[in-house]
Amino acid sequence: MTRRQKNDILQGTLALLVLKTLAARGAMHGFAITAHIQSASSDLLRVEEGSLYPALHRMEQDGWVRAEWGTTEKNRQARYYSLTAAGRRQLAREEASWARLTDGVRRVLRYA
Amino acid sequence: MAWLHRFTNLFRADRHSRDLDREMGFHLDERVDQLVTSGMTEREARREARRRFGNRGVMKERTRDADIVAWLDALAADIRQAFRALRANRGFAVVAVVSLALGIGANTAIFSLINAVMLRSLPVRHPETLLSVRMGGTDDVFTNPLWEQIRARGDVFGGAFAYGQARFNLAPAGEARNVDGEWVSGDYFRTLGVPATLGRTIDAADDVRGCPAIAVMSYGLWQTEFGGAQNAVGKTLMVNAHPYTVVGVVDRGYSGITVGQRSQLYLPICSEAVMDGPDNAIDNRSSWWLNVMVRPAAGSTAAQTAARLAAAAPDVMAATLPPDRPPQAQAEYLKQTLTVTPAASGVSQLRLQYTGALRVLMVVVALVLLIACANVANLLLARATVRQHEAAIRLALGAGRKRLVRQMLTEAIVLSLLGAALGVLFANWGARLLTSFLSVRGTAAWLDLAIDLRVLAFTSAVALLSGILFGLAPAWRSARTDPQAALKAQGRSVVGRSRRGVGWALVAGQVALSFVLLTSAGLLLSSFRNLTTTHAGFQRSGVLLVNVGLPDTSTSLPGTILERLRALPGVRSVAFSSMTPMSNRGENTFLVTDSYHPVRKRDGLTWVNHISEGYFSTIGTRLLRGRDIEASDRAGSSQVAIITQSVARKVFAAADPLGQQFRRPMGKQDSAPYEVIGVVEDTKFGSLRDSTGPVIYLPAAQADQPVQFFTVEIRSDIPPTTLIAGVKSVMAQLSPPASLQFTTLSEQVARSLSRDRLLATLATFFGGLALLLALIGLYGTMAYSVARRRNEIGIRIALGAARQRVVRMVVGEVIVVVITGLCVGVALAVVATRLVASFLFGLRASDPATWIASAAVLIGVALLAGAAPAWRAARMNPMMALREE
Repeated sequence: MTRRQKNDILQGTLALLVLKTLAARGAMHGFAITAHIQSASSDLLRVEEGSLYPALHRMEQDGWVRAEWGTTEKNRQARYYSLTAAGRRQLAREEASWARLTDGVRRVLRYA
Repeated sequence: MAWLHRFTNLFRADRHSRDLDREMGFHLDERVDQLVTSGMTEREARREARRRFGNRGVMKERTRDADIVAWLDALAADIRQAFRALRANRGFAVVAVVSLALGIGANTAIFSLINAVMLRSLPVRHPETLLSVRMGGTDDVFTNPLWEQIRARGDVFGGAFAYGQARFNLAPAGEARNVDGEWVSGDYFRTLGVPATLGRTIDAADDVRGCPAIAVMSYGLWQTEFGGAQNAVGKTLMVNAHPYTVVGVVDRGYSGITVGQRSQLYLPICSEAVMDGPDNAIDNRSSWWLNVMVRPAAGSTAAQTAARLAAAAPDVMAATLPPDRPPQAQAEYLKQTLTVTPAASGVSQLRLQYTGALRVLMVVVALVLLIACANVANLLLARATVRQHEAAIRLALGAGRKRLVRQMLTEAIVLSLLGAALGVLFANWGARLLTSFLSVRGTAAWLDLAIDLRVLAFTSAVALLSGILFGLAPAWRSARTDPQAALKAQGRSVVGRSRRGVGWALVAGQVALSFVLLTSAGLLLSSFRNLTTTHAGFQRSGVLLVNVGLPDTSTSLPGTILERLRALPGVRSVAFSSMTPMSNRGENTFLVTDSYHPVRKRDGLTWVNHISEGYFSTIGTRLLRGRDIEASDRAGSSQVAIITQSVARKVFAAADPLGQQFRRPMGKQDSAPYEVIGVVEDTKFGSLRDSTGPVIYLPAAQADQPVQFFTVEIRSDIPPTTLIAGVKSVMAQLSPPASLQFTTLSEQVARSLSRDRLLATLATFFGGLALLLALIGLYGTMAYSVARRRNEIGIRIALGAARQRVVRMVVGEVIVVVITGLCVGVALAVVATRLVASFLFGLRASDPATWIASAAVLIGVALLAGAAPAWRAARMNPMMALREE
């Protein structure tokens, strides 16, 4: 039960994080995305493998990212994800709504 | 395009799954690398990584299922919503479904005919390798000697067989009971791969000279003649008054090799000698009655087979040269070559005659469907405007626009699928009705109209396309609603000028298409009327025809028959002849005189009819000069002939033909001379479309052979069919074993026009239907437009506008739309009427009277449609209109 809840919360923001990662760092494969999120958040956030790929798949279906097969430096086959124009627009929307959400939560918490 | 991705991903599940596997495998490898660098052993790292990943199978499934489940859920919800909406608007639903049912049903009916006549392959083994052998590219009928020559070169083929269309009389005497059947060669059943369901079929050993008379029945005949009894093999059937032994019953699914004919009986070719006696066609080099089909040898192509056949052609033709032809004709015969064409769907006279007509009808029903779709689109548009309020609320509550579009499209497709389901029922009945219109060589056609996959696929495709066609515009309009504006206006608008465009455009389109259909219908109808009233050179009504088949030849019996028939009450005159007009039977001959030697062999060709005295007065042909045949013109006296006017003009030019002589070329020498004793008016013999029918009439008593098969014509004052009983009793006394077949001259002529009747009837029916649909569309759009503009009209009247001005304003809109539609319609009709031009008789496709009449009808109907709404607009009480805010 608790496990499901943890995933849910992260799912809502997972899309935001992935989109931001791709916007900042360009085309990346799934493993690199999780590594980046972990390091950029100074280990505060960790992406569960079980939720990453469904989320990436959903974003691909919605047209926010596009994927292509490529080769890594270690000569392995990996699928590279990159942002589309629609994805950029979605990122802007999600950033805006995230800002509203945190602002609202902060105000309520400040009310003593 | 998200939904498109989802939809296509349903089908790419496999590849998707593999991709996901590879991707997750890569991720796992990377994770393992990372853990190894941080200090774990390889094995521990792998275990840790896999633990973190969780159950890959479950993850994959979750990824995939989320799509499908969501998609199916949304679809189910949309369908439920669609049905709810239809139930709420029952009137609209009924009108829409019925119009669509008519349109889609008509398309399905015509397509199932096209499927049965043109598209379906024969139910035999490997129909795609069957080749039909032809002479000189087009003629596909051969003599038996020719067939035997081809058969002797069997090493060229992987199988060869011959067959001949025939009608067999199963009645031993008296009135004939005809069934369609085929003469077949020994390898027919084996090459086609058609099995027997009882007993055996005909094989090569049965088809040799002097063979016994055996027969194979169809399944249907087995049921009707022997009740499906197991002991039918060995029983005797009387075929054309000859006994035939049944050796087997053919497989149930096979109904003959010719589309349009259901073969009930198969007889070996060699037994034709038994049936036709000394006059048989087995060795006759001038009797053309067999079709030939071959399969390429194993490993050869059709082209190779064709080449080998062409190489053998000169020898084949030389070995079968008919001796009794003029040398010119013989030289032409020897030059003939043999070719092959693919015959996967059999060879069919029905197809040849009706392909053009069926194509025209396909276009007609497509246009009717378009008009019906336009009506439904208009209805949906009107509803979409009304439902703007509802759409605005849904958008405000968070529904995606694409979802809205999808839901309205689903509603449209549900409508069209309902219409299609109803239409299929209607099409089933319609196709059977249409088949009764088809007839070939004077006999009604039979088609296997079982609904197969192709027809169902066609219907579904048409339904889906129609649904998308008329659903797209309203769906789009719904989705473009601005929620705020719509909610504020509360679903009303005072001046809605911008909304008017699409609805009126659709109506203009309907008017255009209706014009095309009306004009085509008018042309075909006039053409048919011309055909039925054209001067044919004989009087059609009131003549009974009796096709008589005597058991053997006789010189005196026909005369006795005529005397006895003359005595029947109500009979005005009686005669007999070897041919009757439009009977699909005929004999030709050539004419030469000392001064007339036509440059082209064909020009000297005429019909020849052997007649008794009184023929012309019975059939109603006017004698212009000279005399009719008399009793004194009999065997032994000098040969005489009566010719038609066109023959007189052609052969004798300006000279008086009476007393002149001509000869008939018969091979090496010409016949004895014939003296012209009379000239009659031109008569049409083969078809009513013939421009002239050159005929020479010779006394039957002077014919080379005594008569055995002839037709008796009886002109009476009472309805001809009432004479049948009397004729039967006379014949029973004079010649009990004779076979009789009854018809009337008017019926025979009408049957020759069946294709034109089909076109005229259907074009008129669909033209009327299109007009009705357009009328409904026009009325609906106008009434709706007036209703929406109640406020505007009320204000105008309140401000002092005369009622007349209001009416003029409303009617003016209608006129503009109709005129626009007519202009487009005229342009379309110019193209469309070219399609029917080849079927017309007695008028051109650009016949102005028809075009003007169609336009007048359309304008009249449009004014009628506009009258009621205009009247209501004029009578409106401005206070009521303004108060309803």
